[in-house]
Amino acid sequence: MTSVGDRAEGWRRLAMSVLLGLLYVFLYAPILFVIYASFSEDIVWPFPPSFTTDAYAELFDNSLYSDALKNSLIIGLGSGILSTLFATAGVIGVLRFPSRRRALILIAFLAPLFVAELLIGISSLAFNARLLGLPGNLFSAIAANAVEGTAFAFLIVLAQLVRYDWQMDDAAMVFGASPLRCFWEVTLPAIWPSLFGAFLISFILAFNNLEISFYNLGAIPTLPSVAWGSLRFGLGPELFALAALTNGLVFAVFALMYVLMRTGIVKFGYRGV
Amino acid sequence: MTRADDRPASLSLQSVSKHFGPVRAVDGIDLAIGQDEFFSLLGPSGSGKTTMLRIIAGLERPTTGRVLVRGQDVTTMPPYRRRIGMVFQNFLLFPHKTVAENIVFPLRMQNVARAERDERLLWAMKLLRLDGLAERYPNELSGGQQQRVSLARGLISRPALLLLDEPLANLDRELRAEMEVEIRRYQKELNIPFVYVTHNQEEALTMSDRIAVMRNGVFEQIGPRNDVYRKPATAFVAAFVGQSNQLTARAEMVGPDSLTLTWRGHRLHLPHPGGIKAGDDVRFFIKYEDIEVTPERTAPGNHVGGHLRDIIFKGQTANYIVSLADGSEIIASASSRDQKVTIGEAVSVTWPASAGMCFKT
Repeated sequence: MTSVGDRAEGWRRLAMSVLLGLLYVFLYAPILFVIYASFSEDIVWPFPPSFTTDAYAELFDNSLYSDALKNSLIIGLGSGILSTLFATAGVIGVLRFPSRRRALILIAFLAPLFVAELLIGISSLAFNARLLGLPGNLFSAIAANAVEGTAFAFLIVLAQLVRYDWQMDDAAMVFGASPLRCFWEVTLPAIWPSLFGAFLISFILAFNNLEISFYNLGAIPTLPSVAWGSLRFGLGPELFALAALTNGLVFAVFALMYVLMRTGIVKFGYRGV
Repeated sequence: MTRADDRPASLSLQSVSKHFGPVRAVDGIDLAIGQDEFFSLLGPSGSGKTTMLRIIAGLERPTTGRVLVRGQDVTTMPPYRRRIGMVFQNFLLFPHKTVAENIVFPLRMQNVARAERDERLLWAMKLLRLDGLAERYPNELSGGQQQRVSLARGLISRPALLLLDEPLANLDRELRAEMEVEIRRYQKELNIPFVYVTHNQEEALTMSDRIAVMRNGVFEQIGPRNDVYRKPATAFVAAFVGQSNQLTARAEMVGPDSLTLTWRGHRLHLPHPGGIKAGDDVRFFIKYEDIEVTPERTAPGNHVGGHLRDIIFKGQTANYIVSLADGSEIIASASSRDQKVTIGEAVSVTWPASAGMCFKT
């Protein structure tokens, strides 16, 4: 009886493990292949393996890529910071001051998620250039990217702050903390992980963005626009190196955070009482 | 409500109301609390007691009326300038701060010098027996320890007033009884007025000097704890405080301090507060412990016969449930030690003519 049950249980676990494995392959195989190929001599058919760093040399020799990287970083940082600030202020407002129109206010914050990026790009170009007479530059690209970034950041910050107990702020204020001091001493230490998460997501969104940035920048290069432009000359090895580096960087950030959390140097999340 | 004392009251509320739309959460409350007082606001949930506490703390602004702390009008003052201490039901310790950081938080906000802060921290930790826990985080403490940290944080700045919002509601029974005694001791030792909100009548009766029983935003009764328990002013107070039997009937003859009625065939003489005429429907409340259950009628006074249905053992006391001929029940409470009656036997239920109180329905 038990052995039959054990065997059925064993099969079920095996089936679930295989399913999980397949899901991971689906998610990561293309990314791992690009990283593998970027170190290969023949990027078109990199089998059998023979390794070289030529692709990386080519990438670093091309000054266009370093300009593009710089611009993408600026857009990512600027848009990430703006989005996080707007989203946090919005979430605190919605949660702290309940209103009968709360649902409507929430939807208005999230609506940009449902607007195609292409449309955000074109309309912010038309609005900035035609109506306001502003030239397309990094600033307008930051602002346009922050439209979408704010909506994403709002969602992330909201997900954690619904669990925050605002009575904690009441307590701080009764004990003499002014609203600003209360935010700094009590609210922020509890909610910063979600702000950080929101920043990371909105940073990556803006950093990777092609459509919105392209319309606002024109000839100013960003990593996605350069990568896209170079496609006209075929899949160059430097693109493989670029993709591998970008992914490597993101993985490195997450790995670092994981280590910090495991070792307890950074307390990620709310220390529930 | 007024005190003979001519010092300004530590806290006074002058016709304070708070309306949320059409709801009058607090409705024209007047109150003065003295420097040495342990004052409890007792009421069911939704009676407005927490709203009143939040008004005193400055977390809600009253719709009308004034709030004075030590004679100073603080009605429009934000909470962080009022220098009032508070202890919350769910403790509300700052989860990312250690016990020591939590306790000195009020002093840091008041920019007290570090040397004095440390000195006061030691005092508070000793007072609340928190030695050795200074570096712990709140999630590493037991419920009782968290509540003591919360009290230490409330008391460390020696506030003009300490507000306590159901501080024992989340603790288990044994710990609650222990903390009741401790909290009253701190109040008497430190001579800081405490305003204690609770829905638990035992807590209010154990700790308070005075109790206000609140319902629907108004005081049903305010007075020394003995009065609230022994001389309820309204039917609501009589039903809410203590454990009472409730009998309803029509008054037949009304004298100056006693009325006569017939309840289920028994003629009873009952005290009343006035304002009742013959023919009025009345409710009579009598506490369990005022009733005596004996095998035969012994004492004079009101008498009802029945048979003992059950004895509910409560430890020190027991509840004797008596079924009357028509199926209704009367409960008496007495020492559980020397039971003179046995279950199933005919018994006599008696109480003195002066016990309990009638109210007009």
